[in-house]
Amino acid sequence: MAYTEEELKKELETKEYEYGFYTDIESDTLPKGLNEEIVRAISQKKEEPEWMTNWRLEAFAQWKKMKEPEWANVHYEKPNFQDISYYSAPNKKPKYNSLDEVDPELLDTFKKLGISIDEQKKLAGVAVDIVMDSVSVATTFKKTLAEKGIIFCSISEAIQEHPELVKKYIGSVVPAKDNFYAALNSAVFSDGSFCYIPKGVRCPMELSTYFRINQAGTGQFERTLVIADKESYVSYLEGCTAPSRDENQLHAAVVELIALDNAEIKYSTVQNWFPGDKEGKGGVFNFVTKRGLCERNAKISWTQVETGSAVTWKYPSCILKGDHSVGEFYSIAVTNNFQQADTGTKMVHLGKNTKSTIISKGISAGQSQNSYRGLVQIGSRAENARNFSQCDSLLMGNECGAHTFPYIEAKNKSAQIEHEATTSKIGEDQIFYCNQRGIDTEKAIALIVNGFSKEVLNKLPMEFAVEAQKLLEISLEGSVG
Amino acid sequence: MLKIENLHARVEEKEILKGINLEVNPGEVHAIMGPNGSGKSTLASVIAGREDFEVTKGTICFNGEDIEDLDPEERAHAGVFLSFQYPVEIPGVTVTNFIKAAINESRKAKGLDDMPANEMLSKIREKSGLLEIDRKFLSRSLNEGFSGGEKKRNEIFQMAMLEPKLAILDETDSGLDIDALRIVANGVNKLRSKENAIVVITHYQRLLDHIVPDHVHVLYNGKIVKSGTKELAFELEDKGYDWIKAENE
Amino acid sequence: MDLNEKLLSSFIAFEDKVNVNDEVHEIRTAALKRFEQQGFPTKKIEAWKYTSLQTLLKKDFSIFPSSKSVLEYPEVRQYFLHETETFKIVFVDGQYSSFLSETTHDGVDVCLFSAAIEKSKYKHVVDQYFNKITNQKDALSNLNTAFANEGAYIFIPKSKAPVKPIEIVHFATGTTPQILLQPRNLIVVEENAEVQIIERHQALGNVEAFTNSVTEIFAHKNARVDYYKFQNDSMKASIVDNTFIEQHDSSEVSVHTFSLGGALVRNNLNFYQRGSHINSIMKGVTLGSERQHIDHYTLVHHTQPDCESHQDYKGIYDGRSVGVFNGKIVVDKIAQKTNAFQQNNNLLISDTATVNTKPQLEIFADDVRCSHGCTIGQLDEDALFYLQSRGIPKKEAAALLMYAFANNVLESVRNAALSKRVKDMIAEKLGVKIGFDL
Repeated sequence: MAYTEEELKKELETKEYEYGFYTDIESDTLPKGLNEEIVRAISQKKEEPEWMTNWRLEAFAQWKKMKEPEWANVHYEKPNFQDISYYSAPNKKPKYNSLDEVDPELLDTFKKLGISIDEQKKLAGVAVDIVMDSVSVATTFKKTLAEKGIIFCSISEAIQEHPELVKKYIGSVVPAKDNFYAALNSAVFSDGSFCYIPKGVRCPMELSTYFRINQAGTGQFERTLVIADKESYVSYLEGCTAPSRDENQLHAAVVELIALDNAEIKYSTVQNWFPGDKEGKGGVFNFVTKRGLCERNAKISWTQVETGSAVTWKYPSCILKGDHSVGEFYSIAVTNNFQQADTGTKMVHLGKNTKSTIISKGISAGQSQNSYRGLVQIGSRAENARNFSQCDSLLMGNECGAHTFPYIEAKNKSAQIEHEATTSKIGEDQIFYCNQRGIDTEKAIALIVNGFSKEVLNKLPMEFAVEAQKLLEISLEGSVG
Repeated sequence: MLKIENLHARVEEKEILKGINLEVNPGEVHAIMGPNGSGKSTLASVIAGREDFEVTKGTICFNGEDIEDLDPEERAHAGVFLSFQYPVEIPGVTVTNFIKAAINESRKAKGLDDMPANEMLSKIREKSGLLEIDRKFLSRSLNEGFSGGEKKRNEIFQMAMLEPKLAILDETDSGLDIDALRIVANGVNKLRSKENAIVVITHYQRLLDHIVPDHVHVLYNGKIVKSGTKELAFELEDKGYDWIKAENE
Repeated sequence: MDLNEKLLSSFIAFEDKVNVNDEVHEIRTAALKRFEQQGFPTKKIEAWKYTSLQTLLKKDFSIFPSSKSVLEYPEVRQYFLHETETFKIVFVDGQYSSFLSETTHDGVDVCLFSAAIEKSKYKHVVDQYFNKITNQKDALSNLNTAFANEGAYIFIPKSKAPVKPIEIVHFATGTTPQILLQPRNLIVVEENAEVQIIERHQALGNVEAFTNSVTEIFAHKNARVDYYKFQNDSMKASIVDNTFIEQHDSSEVSVHTFSLGGALVRNNLNFYQRGSHINSIMKGVTLGSERQHIDHYTLVHHTQPDCESHQDYKGIYDGRSVGVFNGKIVVDKIAQKTNAFQQNNNLLISDTATVNTKPQLEIFADDVRCSHGCTIGQLDEDALFYLQSRGIPKKEAAALLMYAFANNVLESVRNAALSKRVKDMIAEKLGVKIGFDL
C-alpha cells in the first residue's frame, strides 16, 4: 500500500479538524420551520411538476404522524425540526459553461478540500457532481458519459429531464413512510444525485460526488437515486467533509440503489463530517437511510469508512429480491472523543440462491460509543441462502464502548448462516514488538489499525483507499497516551 | 559495544536479575545458557527496553552510552535487535509492509529519507533469498498463522533487513526442526561481521554447533555463574544443569 | 375478565392465605404495583421481540387449584431421576407434596420456601436474600414475586455439600384444566460449599399449565453450583423460567437447560458477577418440533476484573417450531481481563421451522477477550448419505448427526445418571431407539 509517511506526519500535526472552514457564499435561504407551505415552497423553487409536489406532501403527512426512533444505541439532544431552514441554495445560480464562471470562493473551497475541479478534470476517469449545500453547481464529464447514454446529474435536473425514470423508481426501495428520517427527507429533500446506467453499459469511470453541509443552520437532505439497468455496471463514490460549526447540524439523506437483472452497483462512502470537538461539542447528526434492491443475478456492494459525525445512524442495506442476487457490506467505523455511531446493515434474502457478506470493523477510542447493528433475514422462500458475517471491534483506552447487536432470522431450512464477532484491544506486546523494530507507538497503532481494517480498505477504489487510510489515522490521533 | 554492569531488574515485586556483568565487543558471538527461569529472556527484554521490567540497580551501556532512558524504538534505532522467543501476530499487516515501516522509521530517526522503492525491493529479494523465504510468505500477515519455524525465520529475515549492530537471539532454536535450524543458523552466520555482535540465548547446545560462540556464559538464578569458551557448552550438554545448580546452592 | 384483571383480584384471595404483616408481604405488594404498571410484556419490548404471550394470555388460568390431588409414586416415577439417590422437593399443582418429597435439615437445609418465610429461624436468610437480585423491570418476575409463597428453599452453609443431588419437581394434574403456577425458589450456597440441583416441570394428561417461575441463586466465595433444567413438558404446557444468579469471588455456577417439550418455553437466565475470578457457564440443548416456541434469553454482567463466562447453546428445529436465542454480554469498564465467549449453533430440519438469533456484546473495558459466534445450517447431506450407505436407516442416521451436533453440551453434564437420562430423552424426542453412548 502506498502511504507516504511524510504526508501523514504533516497531517497528524494538525490537531484541529482539518476541513473546518466555512465558505461565505450568499445563499438563498427559506425561513426556518417546517409546514406544508415550506414543502410546497421547496417544490416550487425547484420548479417541480405537480406529481413531485404531491409526493412530497404525502411524505410530509406521513412524517407528521411518526415519532423519532429511539431504539438506536445513541444519546443526543433531539433536533428541533422547526428551528431548521430546509432550503438553502447558492444564489449565483447555475449553468456555468466553464469553470471560470464559478464563484472563485467556491473553487477555493474545493481546493481546501483537496478536490479542486481543475485537478479532478485532469484526473483520469473520475467524474464529479458536487453538491454544495443543496443544489448541484458543477458537473463535469457529462459529455463523455452522455455518449454512452449514462445519465449523471442532480436529482432536480433528473426530475425535469427524466421524469419517467424518477417517477418509476423514487421511493421504490425506500418508501416515503419507511422511517422518520426517510419521510422527512422525502418531504424536503433539496438536491442530490441521479444516475442511470443503460442496459449493457459498463460505466467507464468511477462516478463521484462530494457532499458537505455549509450554510449555518441548514439541514442537508440529499436524495440519491442510482439505477443500473440490466447487465450494466457502475462504481459510485461519495465523499463527505463538513465545515465545523458550533451548533449541531442535521443530515438526513436517502440513497436508493436499483440493480436490475445481472447489473452490479458498487457504492463507496468515505464520511468525515465534523465529529464535534474534543469536549463533544458540536458535530453533525448523520441519520441516513441507504438501501439497494437487487433483481435477478444482480449485485450490490456497500463499502463505507465512517470517521466523522457526532452521531451516526446508518444501515446501508440490500434487498436480495432476485434469484442468485448478491449483497455485500464492508464497513469501518471509527469513533473517538464523544462520537457515537450505531451502524450496520440489513440483508434481506427473498430470492433463491442469494448470498450476502458482512464485514464490519469497529474501532472505538476516547469516550466514544461504537455499535454494530445488523439484520440477516432469510425469507421462507429463499432457498439456499448464504450469509457470512464478521464483526470485529477494537477498543483503545477504557473510556469507550463497543457494542454488537446482530439480529439473525431464518425461516428456511436450506439457509446457511455464519456469524462471528470478536472484541479485542491493541496488545502491549504488539506495540513493544513494533517499538523493538524501531517503530514508535503512534505509528505502531496506525499500522495495527490499518491491518485490522485491511479487509475493508481493500474493497475501496485505490484513490479512496489511500484517503481513507489517512482519515483513520487522523481520527485516532492522540487516542492512546 | 555492550557493557552491562551489576544489572538488577525486577518485574512487579519479584527480582529476576541479581547483578549481571557482561561485555560484548564488535565481532564477537556470545552464548548465554541456563536452565528455565534463570532470567535469560528477562535479560534480553531489559536490554531491548521492555517497560514491564524495572531496572533497580546497575547500568547498560551501548556504544559507550547509558541507554536506560531510551525508549525501545530509540534503542532499535541505535542498532539493538531482539529476535523474540514468541513473535507476536499483527493481523492484516504484511511482512513487507511491516519491514518497510521499520526500515523507514529508523532512517527517519537518522535524518534520512525513505528508502527508495527499488532499493527496498532488491534488498528484500536478496535477504529473503538468504533465508530461503518464499515471495508469497512476504505478503502474508505478520506472524499470523505462521508455524514456529516460519516465525523464527521471519525474525532473522527482519534482522537481515535491519542490519543491527547488536542482535540478541532469544531461544531462536526452540520450535525449529533440524532443516529450519540450519537455514536460520546459516542466515545468522552470513550476517556476522567484524562490526556487529551477536548474543545467542539458548537452553540447548545444538544451535551452538551451527553458530559457534566465542564466549559462553551460564546464567543461573539471575546471575552469570560461569563463563568460558565453547567447550563450556559441551560440558553443560554432558553434565546437564544440575551440575550448575548443585554448585550454586 | 382478562388475565391481568383476574390476577389483580386474585391477590385479595391470596392475601387470606398468607401472613400479610411481614416484610415479605411488603415486597409482594410493591412487586404487584410494578406489575400493574407494566402489564404483560409485548413484542414491542426489545427483549420480547421474537416471543409473543398473547395467545397464552387469552386462556382462563386459575391461580389456585380447584381441588387437591394426590399422586402415587409409581405413576410419576419416570419423571424422577430414579437411577440415583436424590433429595426431592415435590409440588403437585403448586402445593407441597410431603408424600413424594425427601427433604433434609442434616447440615444443610433442603426444604420449602413457605416454611422458610414462616419460621423465625430462617428470617435472617430470607431478609438478606429474598428478591434481592430479580429484575424489577421485568413484569413476569414482579408477578411471581407478588404471589411468592411456595417453592424450594435450599441453604448450603459454609464448606458443606449435600450428600446427594437435589431434585425440584413440579407436577400439574388435570384437576384444574388451566392453571397458572408460580413457584419461587431461593438457593443460597455459602463459601466453599457445593450443590447439584435438577429442576423439572411436568404437566400430566391434558392440563394446560402455565408456569411462571423465579429462582434466585447466591453463590459465595469458592462455591460451586451445578444446575440442570429439564424442560420436557407436554405440548400443552408453557413456562417462563426466570433465573437470577449472583456470584462472588472464585465461584463457579453452571446452568444446563435441556428444552425438549412445552408449547411455549421462555428462559430468562441472568448472571451477575460480583467478584473476581468468577466462572459462569450456560449451556443448552433445544429440540423444537410441531408448533413449539422456545426462547433462550441470557444475560451475563461482568462487573469485576479477571472473570470468565462461557455460553454454548445448540438448537435443532423441526416441524413449525420457532427457536430464539438472545444472549447478551455486558462488560463494565472496570471488568478488565474478562474472557467472555458465546456460541449459538442451530440446525433447521424442516421447511417451516424458524430460528431467530440475536447475540449481543456490550463492552466498556478495553483489555478483554470477547467473542460470539452463531450459525444456522442444516444436516450435512453427505454425512447422512454416508451413514445410510453403512446401513443405518435415515431417521437413525439423522438422529446420530443431531446428537453429534449437540454433543459438546451433553459432554459437560457432570452426573452420569443425569447424562444418560438426557440422552434417552433426546432419543425419545427424535423417535429413535438407539443409545447415543457409542
